[in-house]
Amino acid sequence: MEQQELKDRRSIPFKEQMTILKRILSYASPFKKQFMVAIGFSLALAVTNAILPRIIQVFIDDHLATGTATLRIVLLFAFIHFGVTLVRMVVWYCELYLFNMASEKTVQHIRNALYTKLHSLGMRFFDKTATGWIITRATNDTEAMKDFWHVFLTLIQGVLGVAISLGAMFLLDVRVTLWILLFAPILLVIVRFYQVYSSKNYNEMKSKLSMLNSKLAETINGMAVIQQFRQEKRLQKEFKETNQSYYDSRFSVVKINALLLSPVINFLYTLAVVLILALFGYDALSSPVEVGVIFAFTSYANDFFRPLTRLMDSLSLFQDGVVSSSRILTVMDNEEYVPAQEDNPDSVITEGKVEFKDVSFSYDGENEVLKNISFKVNPGETVALVGHTGSGKSSIINVLMRFYDFDKGEVLIDGKSIKSFPIRELRQRTGLVLQDSFLFYGTIKDNIRLMNPSITDREIVEAARFVQADSFIEQLDGQYDAKVVERGASFSSGQKQLISFASTIVRDPKILILDEATANIDTETESLIQEGLQRMRKGRTTVAIAHRLSTIRDADQILVLDKGRIVERGTHDELIERGGLYKDMYELQNLGLQQA
Amino acid sequence: MGIFKRLSWFFKQEKKSYLLGILSLVIVAILQLIPPRIIGIVVDEIGMNEITQSSLVYWLTILASTALGQYLLRYLWRVKIWGNAAKLEAIVREQLYNHFTNMDSNFFQKYRTGDLMAHATNDLRGLRMVAGGGILTLADAISVGLTTLVAMIFVVDWRLTLIAVIPLPLLAIASRVLGKKLHLRFRDAQAAFSQLNDKVQESIQGIKVIKTFGQEKEDIEDFDVQTDRVVEKNKDVYKIDSLFDPAITFIMGMSYFLTIFIGGLLIMGNEITIGDFVTFINYIGMLVWPMFAIGRLFNIIERGSASYDRIENLLREETSIIERQGAVEKPISGNLTFAIDSFNYPDADADAETLKDIHFTLPAGGTLGIVGRTGAGKTSILKLLLREHDHYKGQITYGGYDIRDYTLDALLKHIGYVPQDNYLFSNTIRENIRFADPTLSQSAVEAAAKLANIHDDIVDLPNGYDTEVGERGVSLSGGQKQRISIARAVLINPELMILDDSLSAVDAKTEEIILSGLKRVRQGQTTIIAAHRISSVMHAEEIIVVDDGTIVERGTHDQLLEVDGWYKDMYQQQQLERKIEGEDQ
Repeated sequence: MEQQELKDRRSIPFKEQMTILKRILSYASPFKKQFMVAIGFSLALAVTNAILPRIIQVFIDDHLATGTATLRIVLLFAFIHFGVTLVRMVVWYCELYLFNMASEKTVQHIRNALYTKLHSLGMRFFDKTATGWIITRATNDTEAMKDFWHVFLTLIQGVLGVAISLGAMFLLDVRVTLWILLFAPILLVIVRFYQVYSSKNYNEMKSKLSMLNSKLAETINGMAVIQQFRQEKRLQKEFKETNQSYYDSRFSVVKINALLLSPVINFLYTLAVVLILALFGYDALSSPVEVGVIFAFTSYANDFFRPLTRLMDSLSLFQDGVVSSSRILTVMDNEEYVPAQEDNPDSVITEGKVEFKDVSFSYDGENEVLKNISFKVNPGETVALVGHTGSGKSSIINVLMRFYDFDKGEVLIDGKSIKSFPIRELRQRTGLVLQDSFLFYGTIKDNIRLMNPSITDREIVEAARFVQADSFIEQLDGQYDAKVVERGASFSSGQKQLISFASTIVRDPKILILDEATANIDTETESLIQEGLQRMRKGRTTVAIAHRLSTIRDADQILVLDKGRIVERGTHDELIERGGLYKDMYELQNLGLQQA
Repeated sequence: MGIFKRLSWFFKQEKKSYLLGILSLVIVAILQLIPPRIIGIVVDEIGMNEITQSSLVYWLTILASTALGQYLLRYLWRVKIWGNAAKLEAIVREQLYNHFTNMDSNFFQKYRTGDLMAHATNDLRGLRMVAGGGILTLADAISVGLTTLVAMIFVVDWRLTLIAVIPLPLLAIASRVLGKKLHLRFRDAQAAFSQLNDKVQESIQGIKVIKTFGQEKEDIEDFDVQTDRVVEKNKDVYKIDSLFDPAITFIMGMSYFLTIFIGGLLIMGNEITIGDFVTFINYIGMLVWPMFAIGRLFNIIERGSASYDRIENLLREETSIIERQGAVEKPISGNLTFAIDSFNYPDADADAETLKDIHFTLPAGGTLGIVGRTGAGKTSILKLLLREHDHYKGQITYGGYDIRDYTLDALLKHIGYVPQDNYLFSNTIRENIRFADPTLSQSAVEAAAKLANIHDDIVDLPNGYDTEVGERGVSLSGGQKQRISIARAVLINPELMILDDSLSAVDAKTEEIILSGLKRVRQGQTTIIAAHRISSVMHAEEIIVVDDGTIVERGTHDQLLEVDGWYKDMYQQQQLERKIEGEDQ
């Protein structure tokens, strides 16, 4: 992964970098004004920087050198200098604070946009993309944008600092300024040199660090295997080598920085001072020179050189920013949207009749996982789906829930195409109970209400009572306000299941879709769950995936699926009589039940 | 400052390069004093019309050479001091790594991977800061601060110096106070960010639930609330963070005020020259960094020593698995006898025994089957044999010796254990198979892979044995991973081979091929097979059925079928399953 990302970084061509830059910058446009004000303060800061040496220069040349200074004048200049300093202080604070806040808000804007975008994507995207990848885009990559924005601030400050100090020098002495401009090409060469060498070494160092850390993480995770095979010594040796090679590349980065960053800039600055003194000194051999001007020039030269170190230092951050931006934009450009609905806001589901007509569906556009599926469920009836893993049961649910769009045929609800209902209506009228109940961090109440504020506390209690979750909830510390930790780790799978029943039933759906859990549920709650399922089904159209065939004996229709086709259909008794796949499965489970 | 003492082993070890670095630093501090002085002198000579061509050349030559000298010495101290900091980081990282590899499973229960990684990254960074930034600041603050002060007093004027530096200690105070505050607020901001992280993680993992309940909009709103919180917390950070530069400006402004005022008066009284004045202003500017750094130093030290505390705590942890003095070095062979009266995991409560009365003898060359429900205790029995835990009532002997009396090499190197959770490393398939000995040849690897019935699968992969496994590479199926793990264990031709439910993800036919292959090549060698599937163990000489940590049934396959128990039920159920699978195909 890391290697791949590194390759990404190197291979982004300049033109594409510019496109990425332009697009990511557009996210800053709502905060344009704030950025502009901040940049205005940057300009003001550069101006105060130019004024301060000027005050001292005038003080020296007009008063000290001429011997006309009085106590009043000395105090006056001290106060003027201090006053400008105060202005500089305020301006500087405003600049930093406003710029930081504007970039923070931009990051928030990008984050919210990215998150909204994620929710517009269909299950196709989530099923095939690793969770970690998505999380990293939404958090770390957007966080990296802050550094990226800071690079711009450094750039602006640097450019303004250089420009204003040059301007101030021009005002004082054009000839000497032109001489100082001779340093510009030298600086450009150094910057270029640094960029080439440092980015190579810096990237190498980063990739070695991530190699080192992944090696470490892998060792910790695979420690049992390592110790069983007594490979500690060998891996220690390997780690030592990786560690050493990271150290080496870190050391070369230190060397390059020492060679080309602030020491060399400092060196050039001192040479510039030599030049200034030489030029003014040479003049002074023939005619008098104002000494304050020399002082001012040495100060400006300092302002001219100083920003360069930071500018060069932030080049690598710029690279990182471009890479993060391009990853963010990959998500923004994704087009695997939620299946589209037609725009009929008035369509409502009243009966809850479900019908599949010759539905075919494939995940990849090649291999059909559902082939010509047809069945009908009348309001209040139950149809059960039975079959092995991969037979197509879950795909039927994916289609019925509109997680995926089907390719051929028709899915009808109350005789109308499923596509004709607004997604909100579909979600409200259909309740899916997933096989692994997923609980969110929060309270029991939160997990039943699930962010729907129109559900009252009383309804929550009633729903819990209905599915008989009340008995265990009321024994909890805090009852309905009891804490649920991440993924509900403190509850048994049966208890989690009951809570998710309650959250389904509190919405009173017309159509119930059950994806029964395969995993062993603790015997304590098993009977409660079975009863809960029975109760929930009463009066609701139900499509159920069943692993425990005993639970669906009373279904109005059982569909046995195999490789995407319905191979048997009928009631329990009919299918047993037929003596096919269903009968074998049923007998097997009976045996299992007996011994449990 | 205690941290410097605690790290003295390192400073002593790197004495020479630290001395060189610090010496360069001190010389730079002195050389730094020269340019402002020369500027002052030239200004005076020009102002008083005393300048001559030769004096100008003289001063400028000195100036240029100090510039060069500074450049070289600055390069030197950076390389020395920052290089040493990187070295300390590398040394401690290696210590940590080696320490981790020597720890027992209790240690890895106690510390989660994330924690250990955090110590190995953040805390090492904290330590590097002490050895680099800490030393640098200390040496720099003292040398630059002192030399500049001395120069100001003796070269310019002691009265001006004493007054102008009055505000400067405020710099140290400001950086200390602001740094501390910033750190606290930064921590809050980090916490808000990690909460946001958790939120995203939860929502993405629970995306199906959100979609099911049609709550995308609400979830987005909740996310917006969280990002608002992050912005609020960062706002607090920026309020302080943006204060550093302005605070310096303000304090320096006071100093300049005093300098202009007192300096102006002294010039009026002809006590100092204009050149002195210019020199002095430059010197004051040079004091900013060292004064500010003193405040920063405290913060670096505080964080560094907290980091070192955490690292030392980890390094102090001891493993409970130790080799006895004079342990048997002869590789295990002979009969394996298990006589465990009771065993408990260290952190489990004392009443619930994990294992109770596990007694059996496995003669050399024999095969033992262990069956039972998930969580019955099968793996725990094997873990004791692998010496993951040494504290139990009873004894396990191999060839007459207690297994705790063998060296770890004599025991473990001759056990080929295939765990349930077949962990593979992100490396090529070849390297994963020859994990126990990377020097083995391709033909040895292939022989093992063929025995594990995975060779054909591997050859079919785009890069064959060079295919990378793990995040960066292909995703293998559970069954393929299991078979690679088997090949990895087969390769060392172990005296004792243990299959811990390691055929669960392969189909019955493949299982049969693998088991009969193993039987063929492992004649005279001992094997233990723990499984859920009866067909894996039915040919074993003895089969034990484990339930609730103790043996409930035992015997050969035929004997067990005579008894109306768990084994018989299970066998019949699985027979039927096979029938259905057969129909399926």
